[in-house]
This record gives sequence, structure tokens and C-alpha cells, in this order.
Amino acid sequence: MDGVDLRSVSAWTTGYALLAAVLVGLVAHKALLRLADRLLEAIDSAIERIRAPRTRSAVAAFLLLSPALAILGLFGVVPLVYAVRISLFDTRRDIFVGAGNYARAWGDPEFWRSLSVTLYYALGTIPLTLAISFCVAWLLHRAARGRGFLRTAYFLPYVTSAVAAATVWRVLLRPRSGFVNVMLDAIGLPMQDWLLEQRGVLHILTQGWIPPGVGPSLALCCIMAFDIWHASGFTIVIFLAGLTAIPRELMEAAVLDGAGPLQVLRRVVLPLLSPTIFFLAVVSGIRAFQSFNSFYALTNTSRGADTQNLVIYIFAQLYESQRYGYGAAVATLLCAAIVALTIIQWRYVGRRVHYE
Amino acid sequence: MTRRIAMYGLLCGGALLTTFPFLWMVGTAFMDDRQAASASLWFIPQDWQWGNLRQVFEAAPFGTYFFNSFFVAIVVTVSVALTSLMAGYAFAKLDFPGSRLAFGLVLATMMIPFEVTLIPNFLMIRNLGWYNTYAALIVPWCANAFSIFLLRQAFLSLPADYYDAAKVDGCGHLRFLARVAVPLVKPTLVTVILFTFLGSYNALMWPIIVTSDKELRVVQYGLTVFWGEGGVRVNLLMCASAIVILPSVALYFAAQRYFLESAFSSGIKG
Amino acid sequence: MTPLRGFICIAALTGILAGCGNPASESGRGGASPRVFKPIDETAVLFWDRQTLETADLITRIAGEYNAQHGGLPVKVEHLGDYSDINRKLSVSIQARELPAMAVGYDSMTAEYVQAGAAVPLDEYMNDAEVGLTNEDRADFFPGVLATSTNPAFGGKTYSFPFTKSVLVMYFNKKVLRAAGIEAPPKTWDEFLAQCRLIKDKTGQFGYAVDVDCSTIDGMIYSRGGELVRGAESLFDQPASVAVFEYLETLAKEKLAFQIQPGTFDDRDEFTQGRVAFFFRTSSLRPYVAAMMAQDPDGWGIAMIPQAHLEAPATVLYGGNIGIFQTTPEQQRIAWGFIKYFTSPEVSARWALGSGYLPLRKSAADHPDMQAFFKQWEYNRAAFDCLPHARPEPNLAGWQEVRTLVERAGSQVMSGLKTGRQAAMDLKQEADRVLAAAQ
Repeated sequence: MDGVDLRSVSAWTTGYALLAAVLVGLVAHKALLRLADRLLEAIDSAIERIRAPRTRSAVAAFLLLSPALAILGLFGVVPLVYAVRISLFDTRRDIFVGAGNYARAWGDPEFWRSLSVTLYYALGTIPLTLAISFCVAWLLHRAARGRGFLRTAYFLPYVTSAVAAATVWRVLLRPRSGFVNVMLDAIGLPMQDWLLEQRGVLHILTQGWIPPGVGPSLALCCIMAFDIWHASGFTIVIFLAGLTAIPRELMEAAVLDGAGPLQVLRRVVLPLLSPTIFFLAVVSGIRAFQSFNSFYALTNTSRGADTQNLVIYIFAQLYESQRYGYGAAVATLLCAAIVALTIIQWRYVGRRVHYE
Repeated sequence: MTRRIAMYGLLCGGALLTTFPFLWMVGTAFMDDRQAASASLWFIPQDWQWGNLRQVFEAAPFGTYFFNSFFVAIVVTVSVALTSLMAGYAFAKLDFPGSRLAFGLVLATMMIPFEVTLIPNFLMIRNLGWYNTYAALIVPWCANAFSIFLLRQAFLSLPADYYDAAKVDGCGHLRFLARVAVPLVKPTLVTVILFTFLGSYNALMWPIIVTSDKELRVVQYGLTVFWGEGGVRVNLLMCASAIVILPSVALYFAAQRYFLESAFSSGIKG
Repeated sequence: MTPLRGFICIAALTGILAGCGNPASESGRGGASPRVFKPIDETAVLFWDRQTLETADLITRIAGEYNAQHGGLPVKVEHLGDYSDINRKLSVSIQARELPAMAVGYDSMTAEYVQAGAAVPLDEYMNDAEVGLTNEDRADFFPGVLATSTNPAFGGKTYSFPFTKSVLVMYFNKKVLRAAGIEAPPKTWDEFLAQCRLIKDKTGQFGYAVDVDCSTIDGMIYSRGGELVRGAESLFDQPASVAVFEYLETLAKEKLAFQIQPGTFDDRDEFTQGRVAFFFRTSSLRPYVAAMMAQDPDGWGIAMIPQAHLEAPATVLYGGNIGIFQTTPEQQRIAWGFIKYFTSPEVSARWALGSGYLPLRKSAADHPDMQAFFKQWEYNRAAFDCLPHARPEPNLAGWQEVRTLVERAGSQVMSGLKTGRQAAMDLKQEADRVLAAAQ
């Protein structure tokens, strides 16, 4: 037997100690809650003693924010600064190159192709995911029977690991013997290569009238479909949480006023849901620009230029070609694009959000 | 009536689409090697291989992996719930200097893809001396911008007069948050808990980077052992995947009932 | 509340922080100063490995035997997922300047580690009078096997040692061939094409499920007497390479072959289901195919891939090599001892039998157990017989990226986006650009 590794022992000990703490918490939760309440009261009254209202709320905010900011600063902001920093270096030779990496990205056709894939993907997935999820959530919200089962069913794709889900999809989309192709063949339509098809989906649909390089490829569309299927569980749950928060009385009052279901939706539900919709629009935008798992799980590599988005491109630069400086420069550009997108959303969409 | 039938028809049709791959996974989990490779749509095993279950548990110490995954995910989830409630409340309800900067800072951490932060965060973990410890798996994930943002939105929709009323009763911000505001945002809080747990439980790339100790492995790592160099054991992979996602499904099943009751009816009890 | 102002502040802050200060790790100028690395684990000789399940157990057992034998720091085998997981973890470890003592990988990855200054040249250990390889040892390894890892781009030094080696072979399904009235598998590319056409005519089936993998295409180019690189210049515009892409074009156009999803083993599955007659893969797939063909063990076979010149056959030698990394002299020495133990005749034979990889030296192949295994089934020898004709793929820096380009080109030909000639010519241009940038 090899010797006992001290570090793992300490890790386990920590684990058991914390577990024990949780158990004690469960047993003595009433006393602990009372204690916590006292503590909060004490802090609150200490804050109340501050005269100037601005200082008072600043102190309260500092107390409330410091844990989150400490962690996000250390593991969120520092990496950001690091990435911007090394984007100014040629890390293979350890020399400062200034904007050299950015100039290189500008002149690299792969970068632009990846950017277009990212944009197609965002345009293709965000509206559809939001629309489908809202409809499903609305129906689920109203369904009385089989609620638990139906809701779980719609959430299943999201909990299934991307690897397992992608395995199933790849089997369904197999070039020759896959189920989808067998079905197409049975109804007399031509079989497709799906995830391997680099030609544009418009080219295929118009039977060659539009050149193959225009628009997203069929393979990319398959990935989009996978992502809509896989990620809508997330959006549905958030919509459901938002719908639940709408007071039932408001809807009932509208119905009493003679509003039809569509009018209730438009006049009551959508305005009250607008913070949720706005949140989802921002988050879906960010997620679409950062999407990695669906691409990685379905295509494994960046083999097809048509299915390489910016994050996959960055990933290949960082970990396959070990070009950290260049990869970080592209990542910084991606961040800038996401920030720009978020600001636009905030300015033009955020303004219309209804808050009480 | 027809409308109701149409509604259930739509919902069940959609549910079929979303559950099919899952059923296929469970079926394939109990096939023999040959049928698993046939890739047919028919997912009922011809010859049920219950031994696959045993093979999966013999292939890797899944007991340890499950303990680690649960432990890490639970600590992360509790921490995220606390940090996000506090921060989300501060951003939504407090007016303080630098609030825009701080909120921008929080949002900025969402903008950089995780795959890019892998290197600097790994360096940070090494410098802190946390390589091969639970801390490396837990601490970086104890706060996230997504949850803060989501809860901020929820707190924003709380009517302002609630706080004024509570203040008259002698409630400060912290006690108002703990006793009044948290129950009011329960559906959102449950959402945050659910997604944080899933995010932590499903993570693979980060655990592989910051640990290599057998005792610190997580369940998602356990799935990789079925990818040999000469091929993947589809049936065993599916069997293990099915076992691994069971806790997530159970958690969701438990959580979804919080989306049924309106928050406002269970709200102000004080 | 718009976070716009917040973002502007953040951007300014980031700019300032990124611009000023000069952390020690970044301060090297011109890259002349060698990087200094430490071991991740000072108490054990870490070995990052790719094997899983039974083969992982076998490696751990062998490491245990070695530890009992040499007595110093123990070798500790850690499984980290597949080659790309190991590669990624090594990448971040190089950035952190802390390394394991050994890791497996493809040689195109090793080239990147050499460039980063993290890999240790093995020559000083191999040539060491005490712990090195004797002349008998060197003569015992099959010709070419030891040469796989010598990298001309790095002064002819050896940075990795053959570890889990296999060759590209052709798997053929006898049942499908018989249905088309074919007795023996093809030996030449012309025969292969003729048989695929016959299969299509007689049975309506596809002949070949193509995994468009760079190694497969490399093997096809070798089998036509071609070369892949000269210096840092690729040779994809040469006749042998053009012929390969044009051949793929013919197969696709006549619907004799179809492409499978990369990263899957769909070709193996189509094959075991009897839906195609051929597929080309690593010889280490044999145990998996055997398990799936269990009820028809004589229904299939393994052969050398088809050739253009039967008098000088060639195929690809691939699989992982093992490299030693900058840690401490002691750890590096123990790591070398482990490699030497692992490739010693007895252990080498045991490993080949337990894993399906090839025995790399004559004494291992002559081992009675190995000989018994060869006799067990008529095709058990097939891969081993290819070994003398197997050649490694290029291992210069940038090749890892070129692999993606090769696969992209093959895929474009198979899906009819480009003609074979066009794909080969474009590939030559792109590959040369990547290789030039990487040197």
C-alpha cells in the first residue's frame, strides 16, 4: 500500500466537520434561528444609529455586498484583468506586442468566420428559445392535471448532461441509418448529412438557388435545435417562477372586467413579467455569445469551419495551439461585444421594463 | 373543453420530444454491447443486462464521487443563496455611492467565458495553495452574477411600501430582508438554488483542472472512464449517466411545487 | 439604472491594471531565459495517464511493482480523462510553472511542450551508462519504433518514448464481402474501389464508412508512397496526397462510401451491424470489435490497409507516447526508470496482451504468451505484421492545428463542397501558413 496522502485526509476531515456542522444546525435550528435574529437585530440597530442617511445605506450596502464582491473580485475580475493583460503579449516568446494580437485577429479570416457563426447562433436561438419557453411555461402554469409530471418532463433535457444528450442526438442524426434520415427516406425526401453538412440551410431548402456559403450551415442549425431543446428547461423554469409571482387576484380582476385570455396576457401578464423577460433577454444574449457545451458535445472538435463559434475558436487557440496571448485578445474582443450588446439591451429594452 | 384538449395535446406532444432521449438513455443502459451499438430507435432492451449496473459501480468508486459531488454542490448552493440574497437586495433596494460601479463589476464577471478564466483561476488556486482541496472546488463558485442579477430583479418588483411598513415596526434592512423579503421572493430563490446546484453538480472541466486526487473526484468525472481510447461503452455510459442525473431530477421534482403557489398568498406573516 | 457608467469605469480600471505593473512571470525578454518549473507533488512521481477501466488497473499494478522494486519516491498514476483533457491540464500547469513528472500524449502535443520549455530531452537518460538502454535493448526494439519520437525541429533530440502504440488497419466484414461474391479482402486501392463498386451493385450497400480523421488520411498518403512534410513545409500538393483526396471524391460521388460523425465510433457500429464492408481504424479497436462480433467470430478480419505499391507497403504508426517533464532530477530519473521498466520485454508483453496495443520489441513478441495469442485467431497477428511498415506522423510544432485543417479538407471533399484536387491545393496553402507561424 502506498502512504496516506495528508492533503486528502485534511480535505476529508474538513468535509466531515462541515457535515457535522450541518447536522447540528438541523437539530438545533430553532435556537440558531433565534440567535441569528438577535444578531441581525443588533447589526440593524447599530446601523440605525448612524445619523446621515447616505452613510447609513452605504454601510448597510457594504455589509450586504462584501461577501459576493470578494469572491467575484478574486475569481471574476482578476481573471478579466489577467486576460486583458496577457492579450498584449506574445506568450510563446514572452514579449510585449501591444495591439499586435488584436491586429492579427482583425486580419484573420477564421476570426470573422467564427464571429459570423456566433451571430447566426445568437439570432437563431435567443428569440426562438424565449418564444417557445414562454408558450410552454404559460400552458404549464395553467395546466392543473399532471402538472408535476409535465413540468419534470420539460425540465429533463436540462438536467441530462450535455454529453449523454449529445450521444442520443448524434444517433438520431446519423448520416445513413439515423432515425431522422430513415423517416425522411420513408416519405420520399432526400437524406441529409445533418451534423456533417457544411452547406447552408438556405442552399438546401432552395435546392441550390442560393449559394452554399450563404447563411448558417445545416450543421449549425442542428446545433441550434439541440441547444433550444437542451436549454429551454432553464428558460421555462424562470418564466414559471415569474408567472407564479403574479398575484392571481390581478388576473381574476381582469377576467371579471371582461378581458379575454389574450387580453389578460397582453395587459396583465406581459407587463408584470417584463422584469423576467428583460432578465432572460440579457442572460440569453450572454449565454448565446458564450455557448460552448452544445458545440463541443455535438461536434467534439472544430473540424467544420461552419460550426466553430468564437468560444470554440478561443478554446482551440488557448489549449490546442497554446497561443494564450492571441486567445486572450479574441476573448477580450468577445467580452467587449457582449458588453456592447448588454448596454444596448439595457438602453432600449430595459427602459420599457415595468417595475412597481 | 376543446381548448383544454388542445392545450394538453400540445403539452404532451412536447413532453414526448423532451423525454424521448431520456427514455432512450435508460433503455440503452440495460442493453448488451451489440444492441447498444445498433443505434436503433427501439430502446427496449432485447435482453435486459442488469449486470451493467454492477459493472458501472465496479468501474469506479461512485460512492466517493457521489459524496464529493453532493458535498460540494450543497455548500456551493447554500453560499450562493446567501451571497446573492444579500447582494441582490442591496442592488435593488439601497441607494449608495458606487452602486453602479459595483453592479457593473458584478455584471462584468458574466461577460468573460468560463473557458478563458480557467488559466488565471487555476493560477489563483495554486497561489492560495488550494490545489487538490475541497476549497478549490467550492470557494470560486460561492457567488455568481447570474443569481445576484436574478434576485435583484425579483426584489425590484417588491412594492416599496412593504419596507416602509416594516420600518415602522422597527425592522432594519437586515431583518426586513431575512423575515419579509426572502419569503416574498421564494420562487426566485428556489430557481437560484436549483440552477446553482445543477451547475455545481454538472461541472467537469474545473474539477479535472484543480484536482487529481482520487478522493476528490466528482460524479461527472466518473462518466469519463467509459470513454476508452479504443471506443466508448455506450451502454455503460448511459447506465452511469442515468444514475448520475437521478438526484437532479429528484431535486427538480421537489423544487417545482414552489412554482405552484403564489408568493403573495404566503407572504406577509412577519 | 444603467450599468453603462459602471462598465466604463471597469474598462478603465482593467486597462490601468493590465497596463502597469510587471509580474515576474511575464518579465522575460526575448524568451532567452529558460523557464523554471517545480513538481506539482513533491512526495510522488506523478504520471498523468489516459487509460481507463481494465487497462488503467493494469498500469497501476505495473507502477506498484516498479515502486516495490526501486524504493524511492513512488510513481503515482492519475487518470484525467482523454488526451485533450491531459493536454489542457498540462497547458495550465505550464502557465503555473508546476508540472507532473510524466504524461502521455500525441507527439504533436509534445512539440508544443518542447517549445514551452517544459519537456525534458530523454537522450541523457537513454544514453546513460548506468540507467540507459543497452545496445541489445536498442536492437530489440522494432526499427522505427524508437525513431518515432525523435524530433528534427529540436536538434534531433528525443522528447518522448513510445508507450501505447498501434497501427492503422483495415477491418473487413466477410459476410458483406461474401454477399457480393468477394473471396479475399483488397490489397491495392484499385481492388478496394472495384470491391466497393461490386458491393454496391450486388447488395446496394455502401462499401466503406469513412471516419475523416487526420491519421487515416496520413496513412492513405503513406500507402501511396507519399510524404507529409519536408522541413516545415507541407506536401499536400504532391501527387500522392492529391490522389488520396481525388480517391475520396470518387468514393463519395459514386456513393461507395459515406462520412461518419467525427468523434463517434459510428463506423465500427455500422460495420458490426453488417451495413458496410470496411472501415479503417487503429488496431487497438480489435477487442471492442471482437466483443460486438462475439456471435460471429469468423465473420470479420483485419488486414493491412490497401496500397499503391505492394512491394513497399506503408501505414501509420500511432497512439500515445510518454514524455518526461521538468520537475526535479530525482523525479525525472525515477520517471525514466518507470518508462524503462514498462517497456522491458516481460512487462511489454503483459501490457500488449492486456491492452490490445502492439508489442514494441522482438523479445516481447517472441514471448510464449504473445505467441499463443497470435495463434488463437488468424487475424491476431495482422496488426503486428503491419508494424515493420508503420511510420509515425509528423511531430513538428503547429501540426496539431494542421490536423484540424486536414480533417476539414477531407470532410469538404466527402460532402462534395470541393473537388479532391482543389481541397488538396487549398490545404497545402493553409497548412504552410500555420506551420510557418508556429516555428
